[in-house]
Amino acid sequence: MIAARHLTRRFGPRTAVDDVTFEVGRSEIVALLGPNGAGKTTTLRMLAGLIAPTSGSVAIGGVQLTRANGAALRMQIGFLTEAPGLWDRLTVRENLRVYAGLYGLADADARIDRVLDLFAIADRANARTVELSKGTRQKAALARTLLHDPTILLLDEPTSGLDPEVTRSVRMLLDERRAAGCSILVSTHNLDEAERLADRVAVLDERLVAIDDPAALRARLTTGRTIVRVAGDPSAYLPAIRSIVGPGVDVAVERSSLALQVPHPERQTPAIVAALVAAGAQILEVRAEMPALEDVYVHLMGADGGGA
Amino acid sequence: MGHIRPLLAKEFLDLARNKTALVPVAIVTVLTLALPFGIAIAIPAMTGHALGEDSDLVRISHMASAADTLSDDGRIQLFLFQQFLMMFLITPVTGAMALASHAIVGEKQARTLEPLLATPLGTFELLTAKVLGALVPTLTISGIGLAIYLGGIGLFAAPGVGAAMASLRTFLLIALVAPASALVSLQAAILISSRVNDARTAQQFGALIIIPLAGLMVAQFSGSVWLSSLALALIGLGLLAVWLALTFVSVALFDRETILTRWR
Repeated sequence: MIAARHLTRRFGPRTAVDDVTFEVGRSEIVALLGPNGAGKTTTLRMLAGLIAPTSGSVAIGGVQLTRANGAALRMQIGFLTEAPGLWDRLTVRENLRVYAGLYGLADADARIDRVLDLFAIADRANARTVELSKGTRQKAALARTLLHDPTILLLDEPTSGLDPEVTRSVRMLLDERRAAGCSILVSTHNLDEAERLADRVAVLDERLVAIDDPAALRARLTTGRTIVRVAGDPSAYLPAIRSIVGPGVDVAVERSSLALQVPHPERQTPAIVAALVAAGAQILEVRAEMPALEDVYVHLMGADGGGA
Repeated sequence: MGHIRPLLAKEFLDLARNKTALVPVAIVTVLTLALPFGIAIAIPAMTGHALGEDSDLVRISHMASAADTLSDDGRIQLFLFQQFLMMFLITPVTGAMALASHAIVGEKQARTLEPLLATPLGTFELLTAKVLGALVPTLTISGIGLAIYLGGIGLFAAPGVGAAMASLRTFLLIALVAPASALVSLQAAILISSRVNDARTAQQFGALIIIPLAGLMVAQFSGSVWLSSLALALIGLGLLAVWLALTFVSVALFDRETILTRWR
């Protein structure tokens, strides 16, 4: 488990991270979401012990990270930096062998073979990294991150610029690591990825704007509208709807759907559906309107003018 | 300390794949190898004017305290070969400066430094591996050149010069002064490399380090300075002390936060 307590980091007059508190539990993936300059990389670097917080603390497995124990605690951390950071003139295997040595791994070759197999890049083991595609380089960097079996993974944009197939394989691998008990913090711009991958999403914009599971975050913006999609022109069924909900309810036609802002959807929806069926409507779908995570993100970031 | 070895292995491997980086060291070695033989042996042979005909050279060469058994030509050759020995041992380091001054800033620019710092690798270990990564290949090339240099003296110099070269002074130059000055120069270059954010700046600063070495050589050749064995021993030990101090300063000044967050 990794915990950030009131983490703050200033660079001169600029505050990059302001009073951020959260933790990533065992077998949990938390996605760190935020715009450029929100402090995601700075937060990851503080958690990895690469830079010290101006105030606040980091605890790894309950042990507070300090300058004195940083090297020892880094043994438990796998940190994927934003750039793959591979030595171009060395092969994939040679790159990994250096890191195996730095982590003091006794069974280096076996471990290297294992992570190469894990990412299906064993056939590229003896290729110099400069010759590799971006996706393969990223896989090699991920292999390096997992080489020493860390219990904590800090991943800065792990699927940035990767094609969907590679992205999917990375996602599956992170699922496996989660199942193996790892605490995983993933920085990403990709809302879809955050939603698919993470147990919880932390929205960061210097401060921690929100942290919750994706569904709960979406629920914050739930509109309360009921959407009924019908075959044909939905405006034809407006009189039937109005006869049921009365004049005070906002009913709108949106493409092939009717959108109703009813005060008690659970109670009123069955009657609305019955009225529509009686009016001859073919109902294709009835659902409560839920915002996309993107809408929640935009709302939280204040880009919609409403602020968080 | 255990982390130095894998990183050093990486440095050697990287260098082996980038042999052109050692070309400046090799060129300097060849030039400093050719120069003394040209001056002490080839030019007098081609012009027909023996070295002993130059009274200034005869006078200066007596500083070398050569054995009386040597001829004037032999004594001057000994003086020249002794003087060039220091130049020969030290100048290849100037070529290695490019490697050392690029060491940290190069890793940063290649974006390989951050993952490296995320490992348990310590600052002292990182900097030591970088110094050794430049030092060992340089000393290896120098060592090969030295064997050729001493062999050439034995083959081409006047009788007795080769034997006279085998002295405490020569040993001190080879075993103490040269490696110590290389350590100081390379450690200074590494220190600079970890304080500037651009490889070109690092190399320009690194080039300044050769100025005191060049000054010492000019003073030697002008005959105004003759370093005795004791003086060389003291200089060597002094250089080792400077190197230790520089190592301490390098570690103290290595600011990983600034390197990671301010350098672009």
